[in-house]
Amino acid sequence: MMKRILEVLNKHSQVLKRLFFAFLLVTVAYDFFAKRHGTHFFGDLIMGFWSVFGILGCLGMIVVCKGLSHVWLEKEEDYYDK
Amino acid sequence: MHPATWFLMGAFFLPVFKRMGLMKVVLMAVPLIAFIQIQWLPQSFGQVSYLGFDLVFGRVDPLTRVFLHVFTLMALIGCIYGLHVKETGQHIAAFLYVAGSLGVTLCGDYLTLFIFWELMAVASTFLIWYRKKKRSVQAGYRYLLVHVAGGLILLAGIFLRYKNVHDLSFIRIAAQGASTADYLIMIGFMLNAAVPPIHAWLPDAYPEATVTGAVFMCAFTTKTAVYVLARAFPGFEALAILGAVMTLYGVGYAVVENDARRILAYHIVSQVGYMVCGVGIGTAMSVNGACAHAYAHIIYKALLFMGAGAVLEMTGKSKLNELGGLYKRMPWAMIFTVIGGISISGFPLTSGFISKSMIIAAAGESHRTILMLMMTLASVGTFLSVGIKLPYFIWFGKDSGVPAKEAPWNMNLGMAVAAFMCFFMGVYPEYLYKMLPFPVSYHPYTAYHLSETLQLMGFTGLGFYIMVKKLTPAPKMNLDLDWFYRKGAGVFMWIASRPVDAVNNWANQVYRTVGFRMTLAIARALSWFDWEGIDWVIDGSARGVVKGGDKLRTLMTGKIQQYIGGAVAITFIVLILVLLV
Repeated sequence: MMKRILEVLNKHSQVLKRLFFAFLLVTVAYDFFAKRHGTHFFGDLIMGFWSVFGILGCLGMIVVCKGLSHVWLEKEEDYYDK
Repeated sequence: MHPATWFLMGAFFLPVFKRMGLMKVVLMAVPLIAFIQIQWLPQSFGQVSYLGFDLVFGRVDPLTRVFLHVFTLMALIGCIYGLHVKETGQHIAAFLYVAGSLGVTLCGDYLTLFIFWELMAVASTFLIWYRKKKRSVQAGYRYLLVHVAGGLILLAGIFLRYKNVHDLSFIRIAAQGASTADYLIMIGFMLNAAVPPIHAWLPDAYPEATVTGAVFMCAFTTKTAVYVLARAFPGFEALAILGAVMTLYGVGYAVVENDARRILAYHIVSQVGYMVCGVGIGTAMSVNGACAHAYAHIIYKALLFMGAGAVLEMTGKSKLNELGGLYKRMPWAMIFTVIGGISISGFPLTSGFISKSMIIAAAGESHRTILMLMMTLASVGTFLSVGIKLPYFIWFGKDSGVPAKEAPWNMNLGMAVAAFMCFFMGVYPEYLYKMLPFPVSYHPYTAYHLSETLQLMGFTGLGFYIMVKKLTPAPKMNLDLDWFYRKGAGVFMWIASRPVDAVNNWANQVYRTVGFRMTLAIARALSWFDWEGIDWVIDGSARGVVKGGDKLRTLMTGKIQQYIGGAVAITFIVLILVLLV
């Protein structure tokens, strides 16, 4: 049963993609209405701050970590066996 | 009675129960009895005077209770998951390990703490060795050596502290006026909490452990360390800063690693960072958050290790570049692992949402904005690495064509229980909040918190969608700080081998001519006793150990395993005598 549900979802991946982008828009829109309380710093007062934080944080982390890995840390799997 | 006694007795008599065909009954009964029994523990018990020291085996307060609760629950889940394992030794090691962790949680003085601390280190080493691969044996040795070194630092701190204050009771140490002794104890604890730069043992060893062993290991060592830090060192600035650094350090490696269980292991470093930071901030809310997060984390991290373990068990693979498209063949394991993934990322209605946010909010309320932002960034990385990347490349992505079946029923049941707990705590946070050591005034389900979480998760998802090509796993490994002792040991061996070898050869000559004959005679007598006297009691397991031992023996030259075995046996008998009284 589980397999069939997943296959149906897989077939309609375009619909899922559109739903995902709609969801992103809704979250940003929702932020304009969410009531602030106990604000801790300036970011709490900017609408959509966490969206920007999320996308920049995610991209930044991939670039920095993958970059460090490629130029420095990455070795063959049997590095220590040699 | 001390709850650890159940596990010690269970471990001791397991070979006998196996002969009677009752092993599975014992595996279920022991953690279940302990889980029920901890509700009725008295405030203090088991005070013993020994050599002029007052040993306290049982000290129960709210901080102890929340950890006992999750440790025994986790033992139950782990035993369900490992029910199909026929090898008695693995279960014995797991029981001893749990017993050590319960002993540390309950003890009221540093000497008792140290005994159980070492029991944990030794027992968990066997959970790595039982994988019986060359890599596991080597990783197990490194694990043991690092923990022995950490234990010695802890012991040095305990001795110095005793010299300073003439008191061994295990209580809160004030941040002002903490001495070198206290910092040595803290370093000993920090090693078990895998705080960088002394964290590399964790991602080195856990991926090499047995499938069920890793499930136990991910729960107990680091979280026991969080407990002892919360007990002795709340409010230490070093912990707050190192904790926040940890969250990012661990998650950074989780983004780039390839082995599923190594990703999860690095992710423990990240998650324990939240708890260490919470302890370091030291307010009632942040310590509450650390305890809540420890509780929630044990369950969902074990769930993730169970999912990755089920894949490893059924396919023999754990590297992401060799997996993919498994949703058709292992749909249940997929569902459970995804539940673990969204819980760890802190989705609304899951346990991460109500526990992690508590620490982040506590950092905000103490005006530690930088710590707060570091932890929020780490939770973006969490969702990226464990929430999306891991499930995507195991269950979706390109179909690898790896043949697989659903895992055995008991593995799925263990995962189902853990998955249920993730949702249960998310929907009904009072269950967790009323166990916490301080009164809770925090409400996770507010409009703004929901908005913040949904934006962070949604846009992290978008980031993954954009960069998915860049994240395609490749069969590589990444250097970490264990490089220093893994490569350094080689240099040391090269220098030492020449002079030491010469002396050794000379000593060998002497030994051969004088001691050889005598040793042979004694050995013959002992082996007669061993085979004739002991084996009829527990012959199956003894032969099993011999077989396992043979494999180990080919890989090492010393006789360390016998010494360790002897030491554990003695500790074990002493403990049973003490605890049963």
